[in-house]
Amino acid sequence: MSTVRFQLFFGFLGEKALSFFEKLGRYFLDIGWALRNLGTIRYYARNIAGQMVQIGNNSIPTVIFVSAFVGMVTSVQSAHQLYVWLPRSVVGNLVIKTVLLELTPLLTALVLAGKVGATITAELGSMRVTEQIDALESLAFDSISFLITPRVLAGTVMFPVLTVIGDFVALLGGLLGASVVTHIAPDEFISGMRDSFLVSDAVYGIIKSMFFGFAITSIACFQGYHVEGGSEGVGKSTMQTVVLSCLTVVVLDFLLASVLL
Amino acid sequence: MIEIRDIWKSFDGKQVHRGLSLDIPEHETTVILGKSGGGKSILLKMIIGLILPDSGTIQVDGREVTTMAYSDLRALRRKFGFLFQGAALFDSMSVGENVALPLRYMPEQKKTDITARIREALRTVGLENTEDLMPSSLSGGMRKRVGLARAIVQTPPYVLYDEPTTGLDLGTADEINLLVNELRDRLGVTSIVVTHDVRSAFVMGNRFAVLDEGKFIAAGTADEIRTSGNEDVRKYIDSSLPMQGEAP
Repeated sequence: MSTVRFQLFFGFLGEKALSFFEKLGRYFLDIGWALRNLGTIRYYARNIAGQMVQIGNNSIPTVIFVSAFVGMVTSVQSAHQLYVWLPRSVVGNLVIKTVLLELTPLLTALVLAGKVGATITAELGSMRVTEQIDALESLAFDSISFLITPRVLAGTVMFPVLTVIGDFVALLGGLLGASVVTHIAPDEFISGMRDSFLVSDAVYGIIKSMFFGFAITSIACFQGYHVEGGSEGVGKSTMQTVVLSCLTVVVLDFLLASVLL
Repeated sequence: MIEIRDIWKSFDGKQVHRGLSLDIPEHETTVILGKSGGGKSILLKMIIGLILPDSGTIQVDGREVTTMAYSDLRALRRKFGFLFQGAALFDSMSVGENVALPLRYMPEQKKTDITARIREALRTVGLENTEDLMPSSLSGGMRKRVGLARAIVQTPPYVLYDEPTTGLDLGTADEINLLVNELRDRLGVTSIVVTHDVRSAFVMGNRFAVLDEGKFIAAGTADEIRTSGNEDVRKYIDSSLPMQGEAP
């Protein structure tokens, strides 16, 4: 009896592993195809512009909101932990480092994994179940170049832009939090920031956000493009996109920190 | 000419097609009849390479579809118009943009030509001056017509219809039937219609094939199908045509 259970257990595991690697292989093939067709991108310029607006411009309010509070919280918490026994300017010092290196790129990506990732998967998934993707193919379009390439390109370009906006807002939020809540003079806070600012920190954050943008949009496109099972399948894939994107972002965050810092 | 030979297809262990073979003659309308979920739409998609069979061959104008390179397949698809069951209009585009889509990336097209062709296609389906409407504001019948306009805007030699009258009232269904006939008669289009609507099938079709349990159980002209010795065929036709003698 236990041998049968053993076989069932390992059979189940094997099936799951095979399905995972099959999906992974298909992901790399699709995204490889989407990137291979970057040369034909001039035909899809209008799609790219539209996606840049949808992914970038439409996310600015969310990024501003999140970044402002991230900056304020970082500032208040740093002050709470440090300024009893260190100069007050250290708060500015800490805020700029954590915001540029880690908090803005990571939290922007995690928030946008939900907003942008879910939107893309739901959109492409609906197109799949209503046969719009089949219709594109029947009209002799390369549906991957038409649908996936512009979204991945727009995500890879617009995430760094959003991160830069997020950086500025978070630093302003930090300044506001420091002066209003912990009563650190703005010039002290700014002097702390100036002392420890490195261009390479900002660049590192921007590079990270490019990877995050690519990962989130490519996962979302893949999940949406291959939706099965009607509207229920769209819901399931959308949820999987958010989970997978968040997991990928935190793993990438660690890998990039290990390689780039 | 389209030649379908010994097509087998299964999904998740369920056998859908069991050795389908059929010839589609040119400039005629061939109707594939059968129950819903019988694999008719899948066969239609196989003809333009959207789905590949497990085995068997499909030849269009002497060229094998099932082993064709993707670039050749895209070139072949320009010979086809496809009306999808739900019309498959792009929600974010207006009616005019939907119809213009097949012409959008053809380098030889001038903007004025494109506009003229959109108008002509919409006029053919009886929807003049609707270019600026959005698909969400259209009725089911209008959506099908726009889908049809998009399918014929390139004046393809082949048009595939997936359940063109499903979900439509009798009057609208008749209008679609007449449109299919008009395209065949006026433009010499070779059409394949898959439907479970027997009444419409006999209005549109020149030749018929009845699909049941993954096989064609009968094929021929309207009279041959009506007088078929196959009991399953007669049962299917009779059960789908409650008013005997109505069909022409």
